[in-house]
Amino acid sequence: MKLHPILQKLTGGQEVVEVTGHPTGECLENPESRSPVIKQMIRDNQGQLRRYCEILVNSESTYPEELTTPVKDGDQIDTEVFFGGG
Amino acid sequence: MIAGLEDKGRHMLTKDDLTRYERQILYTDFGEEGQKKLKQSHVVVAGLGGLGCSATLYLTCAGVGYVTLIDCDRVELSNLNRQVLHYEEDIGEGKPISAARKLAKLNSSVEVTPVFKKITESNAREIIKGANLAIDGMDNFKTRFIVNKACVAEGIPFIHGGVHGLFGEVTTILPGRTPCLACIFPEVPHKKGVFPVFGVTPALIAILQVTEAIKFLAGFGSLLTGKMLYFNGETMDFTFRNLVKTRIARSAGQKMSKNEHKGEASSDSAKTYWRARSG
Repeated sequence: MKLHPILQKLTGGQEVVEVTGHPTGECLENPESRSPVIKQMIRDNQGQLRRYCEILVNSESTYPEELTTPVKDGDQIDTEVFFGGG
Repeated sequence: MIAGLEDKGRHMLTKDDLTRYERQILYTDFGEEGQKKLKQSHVVVAGLGGLGCSATLYLTCAGVGYVTLIDCDRVELSNLNRQVLHYEEDIGEGKPISAARKLAKLNSSVEVTPVFKKITESNAREIIKGANLAIDGMDNFKTRFIVNKACVAEGIPFIHGGVHGLFGEVTTILPGRTPCLACIFPEVPHKKGVFPVFGVTPALIAILQVTEAIKFLAGFGSLLTGKMLYFNGETMDFTFRNLVKTRIARSAGQKMSKNEHKGEASSDSAKTYWRARSG
């Protein structure tokens, strides 16, 4: 899983982390377990992905199934952050 | 001189100009020549919310000669925690009109043009045509992508800014030289609706956008090109990310392979770019 730079700051600068799990929501638990701040940044209090985050699998957006998209061995998951307000 | 706009002696500085802008003229790389360039410049600010209000405030203070403000929304009470050019008495008024009235009092030598209409695919190019640059003050990605596409088509630099809560991002897009928004984001982000925000976040990001604008227009310093600057106000971290054109360049209407469309992440010299454009 490739972490967005603003999340890398919270994992000590690590850009890519090996993750296991199925589907995408379970894969997110790896980086989340490294830092409670990451979990807080990615998910809201109900465990849903925050509005400024998107999850891409092999460069394709998983919206609106960001946490339930199937993944297989070797897939690349990207965490993207878009600050779209003005 | 900007096409379609009256000169009104914009090629020279008046005695009042020299007094008003004295402190920035003292900046060695800027000087009177930089001030003259600002005075002759035309900036379009798309969106008069948290970002747009702060951006136009500082563009006007700095003495940018022509500023066009465009937004289709009216002022609401819930805007007032961050949209510093709108006051309680303006609730219900069109945002460009409300903002233009304050700016005229702040600096009467700046020609401010309010445009109270929605930006669409069909009018975007006409709105930005002839401007020296456009500033992103929008609150949604759909309109951002429309303006981005128009800027690429017209060859107009576009300074992107975006905020959420205490987070923000900013980058400077030079058409043909750096990745544009359509290159940066693989597709228009889907998330919509009301977003949380403190007033300080768009203020900070807008000031970074205007810093870029001043350097670009006056032709000095390095620009935030080919990279996105992220701000995390919770941890007070600034982070950079290099941007590479590897996606489908939608704004150019062309599909390119990943290898074909690689751009270099770099800091462009504002001076070099200005000279190239001035030709």
